[in-house]
Amino acid sequence: MKRYAFLTPEGTRDMLFEECAAKRDISERITKLFESYGYSEVITPGLEFYDVFSGKGRSIPQENMYKLVDGKNRLMVLRPDNTMPIARLAATRLKKEELPLKLFYNQNIFMVNPKDSGRDDEISQSGIEILGGDRGSAALEALVLAAKALAACDEDYRLEIGDSGIFAELIAGHGYDDLKVDKLRHAIDTKELPALDRLYKDHTDDDEAAFKALPRLFGGFEVFDEARKYLHGEVLEEKLNKLKKLCEKLGELIPKEKIRVDLGLVHKKDYYTGIIFRGYVEGYGQPVLSGGRYDKLLGEFGRDADAVGFAVNVEAAAKVLLKKDRARFIKFPDVLVFGEDNIAVMKHCEELIDEGKTVYRFLGECPKCAAKYAEEHGIKRVDIVDKDGKITSEEV
Amino acid sequence: MENKKVRIALTKGRIENKAVDLLEKIGYDVSELRNKGRKLILSISGEDIEVVLAKAADVITYVEHGVCDFGIVGKDTIMEHGGKFYEIADLGFGRCRFALAVKEGADFFAGYGVKTVATKYPNVTRRHFEEMGIDVDIVKIEGSVELAPLVGLADGIVDIVETGTTLKENGLEVFHDVAPISARLIVNTVSLKLKQERILEIVDKIKENLE
Repeated sequence: MKRYAFLTPEGTRDMLFEECAAKRDISERITKLFESYGYSEVITPGLEFYDVFSGKGRSIPQENMYKLVDGKNRLMVLRPDNTMPIARLAATRLKKEELPLKLFYNQNIFMVNPKDSGRDDEISQSGIEILGGDRGSAALEALVLAAKALAACDEDYRLEIGDSGIFAELIAGHGYDDLKVDKLRHAIDTKELPALDRLYKDHTDDDEAAFKALPRLFGGFEVFDEARKYLHGEVLEEKLNKLKKLCEKLGELIPKEKIRVDLGLVHKKDYYTGIIFRGYVEGYGQPVLSGGRYDKLLGEFGRDADAVGFAVNVEAAAKVLLKKDRARFIKFPDVLVFGEDNIAVMKHCEELIDEGKTVYRFLGECPKCAAKYAEEHGIKRVDIVDKDGKITSEEV
Repeated sequence: MENKKVRIALTKGRIENKAVDLLEKIGYDVSELRNKGRKLILSISGEDIEVVLAKAADVITYVEHGVCDFGIVGKDTIMEHGGKFYEIADLGFGRCRFALAVKEGADFFAGYGVKTVATKYPNVTRRHFEEMGIDVDIVKIEGSVELAPLVGLADGIVDIVETGTTLKENGLEVFHDVAPISARLIVNTVSLKLKQERILEIVDKIKENLE
């Protein structure tokens, strides 16, 4: 036997029993939520052409993608993102469907993580995309659904909202080269305050003061008042007002204290063009939900339309659920059935199932072993079927 | 959610000592940290703060995974390992720099050949030369890197330089600086948002007491 025959690749794992139950529980509840709001399900291939994920405003770093070649020597990737294939789909197979389109998905993405980082290379996502429609209404709907999806995982969630347009507006007109923009985006994204303080020690204009302030502008609704000190000009003020109004509307639909604001959110995926949001729950060190507005992505595939969407990291949510209440997901069959006559035994199993019970048919030889198995596996009742079809029921 | 303990990971060794001094200056009771014995999780009496001692790279790992809310770790480790967290303050201590060093009087850029650089920090080195647009061969060395150019394995080294004494004693000198280094305060991205008030309160106290 070869060494790797016994292992799963780094960043992947087998999921067992209650882990599966918790994952299915969360994805079923989220799916139900999406369906109840009239979203339609799509499934895109796990294998896609590299080009889908490598364009002007939609580049995933190539070192983060699992790549392979097809029979014609073309470059393929294991799907590293769910939004881009759906944009492709909307611009091709769904081209004739009228907008707005409301789609949802339950599928995995794959990414190459740094070695030994303990991060997952395969992530299950459940998410929605709203393509087209009135911008404000679509964003509000996406946020409400995001809040409900988070609540399915943990009532004590936080939904954090920002606007990547603020950074874009500040950067515009400075003539910074790509390297500088990347560095600045990274510093703001990671709230690397020392770097920003050094970079703009003697800031000469409002924008530079704003760059320094951005990572500090997070918290409750009071952030909007604070932000006015740093964000000037018609465009920025309008963005700020719009975001505030959106948050206030959302506050009428979900508890206000769940809503957080972070004006320093500058998503690394550069297809986001407006509001961006993240969901947090206690017990998982990274956001369990992330999403935002991406108005240019569909255009890249030849169908201009605004869009907004989000994805929930289902496995992360399941982990949180398991940590809170593992016992809820450990399931035992109701009855163990044992007997020598195969036909009689199977018939009895069927009867029990028809009554709404779950059964475990014991495949061993001796009645004692059957009783022992039931005891060890939390099965509360043992039914022994004798040759004549007579049934003796015993509680364990 | 707000009343849960806050856990800080400290990098063992020099950074730990400075960090404990800092915590003491803030007014925390650090007696358990001073007399820790072999314990790895320590508490500050009268506070909701727990302190964990770990190796530098592990501090990042613990914070990134959210099992520790805060970490105090050198910028050198952050640059080498990367990760997703907020790098919220420069603590000012543990100050030194990454530098490219060569044999005294040597010109690293002389000639057309691809140069070889020995280092304990291959990621920092790769990124530095990528940004300069220069191809180099990188050799990872675990122990004293200064040896590599002396025995002819490498044309230069990228390493942490404090005073430059070790370099000088071995006939090496700094060719150019790569990046400044100091201890940083890092915070888990989710902790900062879920325990914002408590976390910022501690951050402010730390900042007020920096030298």
